[in-house]
Amino acid sequence: MTETTGFLYPFIEADERDATALLRDLSESAQAKVAVSAALRRKTLARSVVPIEQAASDIADRFQQGGRLFVFGNGGSSTDAASLAALFIRPPWGRPLPARNLADDSAVLTALGNDVGFDLVFSRQLIAQSDPRDIAVALSTSGNSRNLLQAFTDASGRGMLTIGIAGYSGGEMAKSVHVRHCLVVEADSVHRIQETQAALGFALWQAVQACLTTVENRQ
Amino acid sequence: MASIADDLPLVDSVEMGDAVALASLALARRFAKGATLWCIAPEWPEHARHVAVEFVHPVLVGKRALPAVSIDAAEPVVALRSLVRSGDVVLAVSDAKSVGTAAVMRRAEAWGAMSIWMGTGRRPAPRSADHMVWADDSPGTDGPALHDGRLVLLYHVLWELTHVCFEHPGLLVTDDAADRSDADVCITCSDEGRLGEVIVTDGRGTTRVRTAQGIETIDTTLVSPVSPGDLVLIHAGAAIAEVP
Repeated sequence: MTETTGFLYPFIEADERDATALLRDLSESAQAKVAVSAALRRKTLARSVVPIEQAASDIADRFQQGGRLFVFGNGGSSTDAASLAALFIRPPWGRPLPARNLADDSAVLTALGNDVGFDLVFSRQLIAQSDPRDIAVALSTSGNSRNLLQAFTDASGRGMLTIGIAGYSGGEMAKSVHVRHCLVVEADSVHRIQETQAALGFALWQAVQACLTTVENRQ
Repeated sequence: MASIADDLPLVDSVEMGDAVALASLALARRFAKGATLWCIAPEWPEHARHVAVEFVHPVLVGKRALPAVSIDAAEPVVALRSLVRSGDVVLAVSDAKSVGTAAVMRRAEAWGAMSIWMGTGRRPAPRSADHMVWADDSPGTDGPALHDGRLVLLYHVLWELTHVCFEHPGLLVTDDAADRSDADVCITCSDEGRLGEVIVTDGRGTTRVRTAQGIETIDTTLVSPVSPGDLVLIHAGAAIAEVP
């Protein structure tokens, strides 16, 4: 606790000796996590420049053909997928692009989960809604989620562009012949991986916007 | 592409660390007493869901599941007014412009709830919530905190530190009076003033209000006519001011 904020928390003083030591440890731990996260983000962005450019170029081609982006993941990665979809459809700058998060509709999700099983909740939506011009982007920290791998298999079979964003060493996603581009955050903390995956998604979005600007300037 | 700069100082890291440490201990203390964590992010609903799933379904095996719920609504105040019980915690992820968040943060004290406001971008006024944890966009660092993972980092760290606090059960016990958030003060006499939210009024100055202590009947003849949902400052059984 700093001198400037201490007066706001009189209840801490009632337990002063022990809580103060814990709070100092917590604050130092938080600062260390900030530093680790920043270092991982910068390292991963630096080594992903080429894969991001390649994936963005392919994505931009699909958008030029009228394709749409489908994003998906499980749990926290599902919310990160929603953030990525929001970035494309409601961009802070640049052009809005068609994107959807496949976990957004609880009726579809529960119907598929109940009737055909959770391994097919994304795949069946792609089969129903996508065409070969479209793009599938899935986020997973392990790279091993069965429903994502199944969706990639079906998406690539339909001619869609497939892009994985994974953690650890990429898991099955990095090895799958059905995944055209795989961006990997090489780390072993789910939290730190997700933080850097957000940065990768933002870098990918920026690169797509830049590709589209280049194409439009040529036309 | 974001700039790559390894040697930049981590601006505001100490302030953020101190703020999240205090929020984590206070949150752990509330959980220890049976609180539910209510998460909102009116403009970025996925972040409310992400916070809730962290606590409900921990990524680390062996960490306990804690009651957290995300409320997906542009005006979460309506749902939370009924759902939040005294002793609970409301957590918002948004910037200062969020009207939906501000409405909840202003009422938290009247509901007996502790408030945590996490965000990026423009900061709310000081003390808009019991705890404010911010990821600032500083020139020269990476992308915007909203998009480059630094906003997500804030609530990841909150979750991680809250579980560290559970390893110190002796520090989770506090007496209720000391744990109460700071009361507003009557500006006329510098005596205690408590926040209340109007439930129903008879139109003649007798009004039922919700405060941190429960449901009370107060006199509202000193303030202009009040309506359900209005906030008033209560002193000695009477509303002495409306709170905008």
